[in-house]
Amino acid sequence: MIQPLTEEKHYTLTPGPEGLIETQTLEVSIGPQHPSTHGVFRMDCVLDGETVVALKPVMGYLHRNHEQLAERMAWLGSMPYTDRLDYFNSMTNNWAYALAVEKLAGIKVPERAEYIRVIVGELSRLQNHASVIGFMLQDLGAWGTPLLYAFREREKILDLFEAVSGSRMMCNYFRFGGVRVDFDEQMLNMARDITAKFPRFLDEFEKLLTTNEVLLARCQRVGILPKELAINASISGPMARASGVDYDIRKVDKYGVYGRVDFRVPLGDVGDVYDRYYIRVLEMRQSIKILEQALRDIPQGPHVAPEVKLRNFKIPPGDGYGRVEAPKGELGFYLVSDEGGKTPYRYHVRPPSFINLTILEDMCLGHKVADVVIILGSVDIVLGEVDR
Amino acid sequence: MGFLGKGLLEGMAVTARNFVGSYFDKERLVTVQYPEERVQVPENSRTFPFLVYDDDKDRVGTMRCVACKICEVECPPKCIYIVMDRDEKGKPQQRPKVFDLDISVCMQCQICVEVCPFDAIKMDNDYEKAQYGRFTELVERLPDLLKSNGYYHKIKPTEATAVDARLKEAAEKKAKKAAPAAKPAPAAGTAAATKTPATAKTAPAATAKAKIEIPPDAPFTPEQREWLGKFLSTVSVGAAPAPASSKAPAAAALATDVAATAVPTADAPWHDPALGIQQRLDLAKSKPLADKLMAAMAQTDCHACGYDCRGYADAIASGAEEDLSLCLPGEAETQQMLEKLTKEAGKA
Repeated sequence: MIQPLTEEKHYTLTPGPEGLIETQTLEVSIGPQHPSTHGVFRMDCVLDGETVVALKPVMGYLHRNHEQLAERMAWLGSMPYTDRLDYFNSMTNNWAYALAVEKLAGIKVPERAEYIRVIVGELSRLQNHASVIGFMLQDLGAWGTPLLYAFREREKILDLFEAVSGSRMMCNYFRFGGVRVDFDEQMLNMARDITAKFPRFLDEFEKLLTTNEVLLARCQRVGILPKELAINASISGPMARASGVDYDIRKVDKYGVYGRVDFRVPLGDVGDVYDRYYIRVLEMRQSIKILEQALRDIPQGPHVAPEVKLRNFKIPPGDGYGRVEAPKGELGFYLVSDEGGKTPYRYHVRPPSFINLTILEDMCLGHKVADVVIILGSVDIVLGEVDR
Repeated sequence: MGFLGKGLLEGMAVTARNFVGSYFDKERLVTVQYPEERVQVPENSRTFPFLVYDDDKDRVGTMRCVACKICEVECPPKCIYIVMDRDEKGKPQQRPKVFDLDISVCMQCQICVEVCPFDAIKMDNDYEKAQYGRFTELVERLPDLLKSNGYYHKIKPTEATAVDARLKEAAEKKAKKAAPAAKPAPAAGTAAATKTPATAKTAPAATAKAKIEIPPDAPFTPEQREWLGKFLSTVSVGAAPAPASSKAPAAAALATDVAATAVPTADAPWHDPALGIQQRLDLAKSKPLADKLMAAMAQTDCHACGYDCRGYADAIASGAEEDLSLCLPGEAETQQMLEKLTKEAGKA
């Protein structure tokens, strides 16, 4: 006796055309070991022919007990673990955690460190958006080409991350009250070089993709996320902005030096997969604008607040929520410190990938099963962050 | 937009340009033929930690690690295991007997390096660590972990020069501090004469006047040997190290302080890590409780407890600190002694 995959039974007989036999729906479990699920993630789809009539995301295959681990560890000890949430953007993960701790402990960050944070954060956004477009196109069937072009550019950014922080992906670069290593002139020039050359790559990338008829046919009017639903489901990041929700934490909170930097927040109007693709291209252009300003204005000074201790770092009782606009959306850390203050009493992560993924069924209903793959690709998930 | 298929054709032009360009344009061809060709890793690049020693003749003796266990405690995935070395009488030797590092657990986060007050543990950049086994092969033992200061200079020249300068400064500070203390504290003076492990460990450049020879059986290739020979000759004539770079880690100031304070003074003749715990307590016999407590500490001033030795003792004596288990290098011996001393004081 085979048990149905989903809890409610979706088997309903649908009458076929005149004179033919009746058909029934089919349950397909896509994943957890499936290349298009971007990791260990499972979707239980109920199909009527090729059309999706129900879909349940199943998460938890990569659960690593991140929050509980952090509650048993010194404040600094969790910093390298945050690298492993969204492993594409360890810089912004570090930033969100450092911001939450700084808020809780009342640490002031030196000016130069704020600029360095903006530079590495925006570089991280560039490489994330470039590669997520590559992965999405990979899901569409454009095997290799756009992804490898994106990875070629990403490599240059990772080279800079390695030169600065010592590691390409698991940077562990931020410290409470600043960053671990100062940018020297050579590293700044590397960043300037990347910023100067990236628009050329982006133009080429757009020429390859933006007006491509196949891409237009597969992406336009697919996986529409209405504005009201995006707001009600607390979707954030490029996904919400593609649906026309004008919400960017860089503008709302003005953390770091974003209050002083001139940039615009691109918005989509349809909220389909194509909008989500194009929003990311536009955001990369804005990131380059931010990078140019930050690299021009970066002041001299200390790169870390000298009064912050590495060891025996204690925080007075209280709670705080620090959030940043990570490339995937709003990444927040909610921290509670209690008596003693050596370890967090409560450590909670608000991961953008996880919350953006909850809306997957609403976007997929009525589409073909082949579209589910690109709709999932356009959400931009990293399973390290979904499951923690 | 023009005719249908214009976007496709434009896209194909892009791929053609990339394909042809990959033969002529370095920007477009970034592949490296790995085992034959290698990319030079940046200086900051990190993989797994190693332990630094100063002199090839006596690797274990000149190892900078004092087995204070700070890294063992601070390591987030707990991949370090340390047992302090003791002589046959059970006296701590201020160096590890066992130092195991499980590289299948290590996540290369560099926190051990940042928290080490003795500049003893540093990050390697050797990324070819593949092994044929899964168990003992992936545990690095003390002999595998020990690497020379010369090697450290080779992989991270700027950082290593800054560390050398810092250690030299600390040794000088210490020597200055030790000189006036020698007369009023004869007991400490004899101890210092018999063995000055900390000084020898931290400042080979200051003490080693003779030319250092590389032993013929040392595991070096001819190029490494030549380089090391050159490096050691500059060290033995006492060449001035380059000024400290701005890239010095945040623990720098602490390291200077720590290495400079662990030295016997007139007020605290027992403040010498070379003495045994009983000897130290004898020296503090007629002193108030805070001094007795201090004499029970391991005297490394490693700040593992959050204070220096004096500070921790004062905090316990005044009641500000109730936890008696914080002295990591002192191990159970110190904790038991602290419990005994505080109990006695409570009775009196």
